Amino acid sequence: MALASTKFKDLDFFNQSLESGYKLLPFNFIKLDDSRYVITNIAGEYLVITKEDLYAVANKQLCPGSPVYNTLKSKHFIYDDDSSVALELLALKYRTKMAPLANFTGLHLFVTTLRCDHSCPYCQVSRQSEDKAAFDMTPEIADKAIDFTFQSPSNEIKIEFQGGESLLNFEMVKYVVEEATKRNQTENRDLQFVIATNLSPLTDGMLDFCLKYDILISTSLDGPEELHNGNRPRPGKDSYEKVMTGMQKVRELLGPDKLGALMTTTKDSLTQAKPIIDEYVEQGFSSIFLRPLSPYGFAIKTKSFDAYQTEEWLKFYKEGLDYIIELNKQGLYFIEDYTALILNKMLTPFGTTYVDLQSPSGMAISAIVFNYDGDIYASDESRMLAEMGEKRFRLGNLLQDTYEGVMLSDALLGPLEATITESMPMCNDCGFQNYCGSDPVYHYATQGDIIGNKAFSGFCKKNMTIMRHLIKLLEDDPEARDVLLSWVRV
Amino acid sequence: MLQLHTTKIECLTTSSEEAFIARLSENDQYPLPLRGKEIFLAPETHSGKLPDGFRAYFILRKNLDSVEANQDFPNVFIIPNDQHYLRDGDVIRFDPKRIKLHTLYRKNSQHNSLLVTERCNNYCLMCSQPPKDIDDSYIVQDLLVAIPLMRRETEEIGITGGEPTILGDDLIRILRALKNYLPSTSVHILSNGRNFANIDLARKVAGVKNHDLMIGIPLYADISNIHDYVVQADGAFDETIKGIMNLKRHGVKVEIRVVIHKQTYERLPQLAEFLARNLLFVDHVALMGLEMMGFTKANIDELWVDPIDYQPELVRAIDVLARYNMNVSIYNHQLCLLDKRLWPFNTKSISDWKNEYMPECEPCTLKEQCGGFFSSALFKYSDHIQPFSESEMPTKNAPQPTL
Amino acid sequence: MTKESTTPLVKNDDGSLIILFPKSVYSLDAVKKASYKFTDSCSFLINEQNTAYEVLCKPTADIPSKALDELVNSFCNEVLDQDLRERIASETHAVRSLILAQAFSKTSLLEG
Ligand code: SF4
Ligand code: SF4
Repeated sequence: MALASTKFKDLDFFNQSLESGYKLLPFNFIKLDDSRYVITNIAGEYLVITKEDLYAVANKQLCPGSPVYNTLKSKHFIYDDDSSVALELLALKYRTKMAPLANFTGLHLFVTTLRCDHSCPYCQVSRQSEDKAAFDMTPEIADKAIDFTFQSPSNEIKIEFQGGESLLNFEMVKYVVEEATKRNQTENRDLQFVIATNLSPLTDGMLDFCLKYDILISTSLDGPEELHNGNRPRPGKDSYEKVMTGMQKVRELLGPDKLGALMTTTKDSLTQAKPIIDEYVEQGFSSIFLRPLSPYGFAIKTKSFDAYQTEEWLKFYKEGLDYIIELNKQGLYFIEDYTALILNKMLTPFGTTYVDLQSPSGMAISAIVFNYDGDIYASDESRMLAEMGEKRFRLGNLLQDTYEGVMLSDALLGPLEATITESMPMCNDCGFQNYCGSDPVYHYATQGDIIGNKAFSGFCKKNMTIMRHLIKLLEDDPEARDVLLSWVRV
Repeated sequence: MLQLHTTKIECLTTSSEEAFIARLSENDQYPLPLRGKEIFLAPETHSGKLPDGFRAYFILRKNLDSVEANQDFPNVFIIPNDQHYLRDGDVIRFDPKRIKLHTLYRKNSQHNSLLVTERCNNYCLMCSQPPKDIDDSYIVQDLLVAIPLMRRETEEIGITGGEPTILGDDLIRILRALKNYLPSTSVHILSNGRNFANIDLARKVAGVKNHDLMIGIPLYADISNIHDYVVQADGAFDETIKGIMNLKRHGVKVEIRVVIHKQTYERLPQLAEFLARNLLFVDHVALMGLEMMGFTKANIDELWVDPIDYQPELVRAIDVLARYNMNVSIYNHQLCLLDKRLWPFNTKSISDWKNEYMPECEPCTLKEQCGGFFSSALFKYSDHIQPFSESEMPTKNAPQPTL
Repeated sequence: MTKESTTPLVKNDDGSLIILFPKSVYSLDAVKKASYKFTDSCSFLINEQNTAYEVLCKPTADIPSKALDELVNSFCNEVLDQDLRERIASETHAVRSLILAQAFSKTSLLEG
C-alpha cells in the first residue's frame, strides 16, 4: 500500500460491505449452446456466461470483487450492500423500454381500394374488378378515418395508403392527404404520408402531387425480374418493368430518399437469397427486410407445416444475413432490417414500435387499419385473416363505432392482455423475452389460439433461432460484430 | 504558468484599508464619480502623474521608472512583474494589510472559474485542490461583490471548489447573481454530484434558470466500491448516480468527468458501457488525463500510469461511447501519446494560465493542435513524448476511429 | 401405473420412457414447465408418487435411440434449468415488484 498518509483508506476498506454477500436481481436465461447461457435482466441487457457461472451466481458462490462478479454487478444482475442504486437505474431503464407503448398508434393504414391490376397468389385481399363502387373507400368513410386518426395521442402520425393497389383510387389518396393536411393546421402533429404501391398506375401528375405534399413511396420489389414477375402476375407479365420505370421516376422527381421497397417472401424466394439482395443493392437501396413467409393464404395450416416452412425460411435468412455481412465487410453499408430491429432491442436502452416484436402485441398500438368499407382492424394481417373469413380481429366499423369504443373493445383488449410475454407460457421465463413479442394473429392462423404453444410455434422458432444466431455472431465473430454494431442506431 | 496569487507587494504610500474586491482600470480618463470603486492599473504606456480619485493604484515594478507616484495619494502599490497579465476589466481581491493580491476574474480569458469553497465531502486520491475543513463563508460574500463587476459579455464562468454544493443556499445565491448580472454567460459547475441526491437541491439549482448551465460530475467506475475508494467516501457512488438522475429530471445539463489513472483505467470500457446503458441522457462525457497537483503528487505510486499504456482501454471506451452517439471528448492528453483513432475526440482543454509544453515539444509540428501539459506535469510525465515532424502532419482525411 | 417405480429412468418397449424426479429436489412446476417445452416432440403424463414425480414421456414420432438419449438428457437439464428459474424468480419477486412500481411511478426523467 502506497497511499500517502493514513488519511486515505485502502480499497479493502471499501470492499467490506461486499462481505455480507450479494442478492439477485430479476433475470431470465436461455441456453446459447452446449456450454453457454444467455442471461437477460429486466431491462433487456444481456450477458453470455458459462453454465457453471450461471449456477454459481444463483447458488451464491461468486467471489466478491472477481471480474465475473463485477460484470454481473455492473450489468445489474446482482447487487450488494455497497450499492442499491441499481434498483433505480433498472426502473428507469424499464420505463424507457416501455416508452414507445405510451406513444401509441402512430401508423394508420388507409385501404383506399381493394382493386388491383395484379393477381398475386399470396394476396388474400385484392380484387380484379372494375366495380369501383363495391371496393373503393368513400369520402364519408375517409372523413371518419381521419377523425379517428387524429384522436390518437401520438405526436407522430403516419398515414399509409394501402390496397389492393392504392393508386387505382388516387382520387381518394388525394382527398385524404388534402383533408388531413388541412386538419393538421390546427392539430400540429408531425404528419407524414406514405403510399404503398406497385407503381404500375403511377403518372407524372401523381408524382407532382407527392412532391407537393412530401409523400414517401413504398413499393414492392421481390427480387430479380423472373422471381418478381413470377410472384406478381399481371396482364402483360411486366410487373418488374413497371416497378423499374416507376422507381426511376420517383428517384428523379422526389429523390432517392423518398423511395422504399418491401419484398414479399414466397416459396420461390427461399433459394434465391443472394440474387434478391443483389437486386436491392443494384437498385441503390441501403437496406432490405428479409420478411418471413406469411402463413396467410397457405391452404394447409398445420403445426408441422408451420415448422417446416420456418426451417426453410431460417436457412434463407441466415444465408442472406451472411451475405449482407460480407457486403458490409467489403465496404458497402447495407442493413438487414429485421436484424437491425432485434439488435436495437438488445443493445440500446430503447424499445421499438415494430408490431411483431412488441409485448403486449403491437395490435392497434403500432398500427391500425381502416378498410375501404370502414371496418377497423388491428393490423394488416388481421385484415387478411378477415378476408379469409375469420373476423375475430375486426375491432369495429368507422360508421358505427367511436374511438373509445374501438380502443376499449374486447376484440382488442382481450388479445392485448393475453399477449404480454411476461405472462405467456414459455415466454414468461424465456431469456429472449425482452427482445421478442407476440403475434396473436399468426398464432391464431396457425394454431387456432392467439397465444399458441410456443414449442410448436414458427414465430417462436424463428425468433429464438435468429436471436441465438445474432448473439453468437456478436460474441464469437469480431468482424461480424463490427458490422452488426454499425447497424445499431441510438 | 500565470501567478494568480501574489504577496510580493510593496506599499509606496500609506494604507489602512481592509480587504476589498475591485475592478482594475487602465483608463486615466475614467469618469471621476466611478473612480472611487476601482483600482488604477498603470498601463505600460503611462508616464508621469497618477490620475486622482481611484481607490488604489497598482504599478508593475518594471514600469516604476516612468510613473510619478504621488506621495499624497494613499494606497499606491508596486506589484511584482509576474502580474504583467493583469488588464483593464479584471477583477481582483486585494488585502492591503496582509498585502495579498488574488485575481478572481480575467476579462480576456476563456477560463475564468470561481472557487466558491474549499470544503468537500469527498477526499479523492488525486484531488488537485485538497479540501480544507475551514469556515470560508467569506468567499461567497466576496464573489457576490465580484460578479457584478465582470464583463457582461463573458462567455463562460466555471464554479469550482471544494464541493460547491456544500454551500447549499449560498450556491443558489451565487447562481442567481450570475443569472442576473451575466445573463448570457454559460455556467459550468464542478461538483461531485452527491448532494443532488437530495432532489430539492436539484430543483433549486434548475429553478435559477441560468443561461446554459452544465454540471460536471466525476464518475470513476461502474462498480460502487471502486468509485467509493477513489473518492474515499463510502456510499458516494449511489449518491452521485442519484444526483445525476435528479439533475436530469429537472432538465439540468450534466457532464460526466472521468480522470484516468491506475485505479480507473482498467474498467474504462465497462464504465463506458455502463454510461451508455444507464446514463445515455447525459450531455457530455470527458475522459481526462491526470493533473499532477495536490494529493496526486503524494499518491503518485497508486495513480500514475503512462498514458501510452492505457490506449487500448481508451480506444475501446471511446468506441462504445461514440457508437451510442454520446458526446465525448478527451481532455488533458498529449497528441503524441494518443492512438490516432482518438485524435478526432481530443480537445485542447487545459486552462490558459496553467498550460505548458515540455522541452521535447520544441521541434514538434503539431504543437498547435496538441493540448500540451498542465504546468504541474513537470513533476511527472510520460517517457514517450515524441515530437512530430513535417511528414507526419495529418492529412485532410485524418484517421477516424472504426466505429 | 399402479406400483411405484424406483429406478430413475425406465425405457419401455413401446418407445416410451418413465423418468422420476425426486420431490425433495424438484418442484412440480419445474417438471411441468420443462415438459411443456418438449411438447413438440413428446407427449407427457405426469404422476405424483410419494417421494417423486413420475413423468411418462412418449415421443410423438419414431426417434433413433441415440437421439432419444439426447432428448432425455436435454429434458432432464431443462428440468434443472426450470428449477433454477423458479428459485431466481422467487428470490427476486419482491425486488422485481419494487422496480416495476418505481418504473411506473410519477417521477420520470421527462418531467420537469
Ligand atoms: S416466442 Fe419464443 S423466443 Fe419469443 S419470448 Fe416466447 S419463448 Fe422466447
Ligand atoms: S511533442 Fe508535440 S504532440 Fe507531443 S506533447 Fe509535445 S506538442 Fe504535444
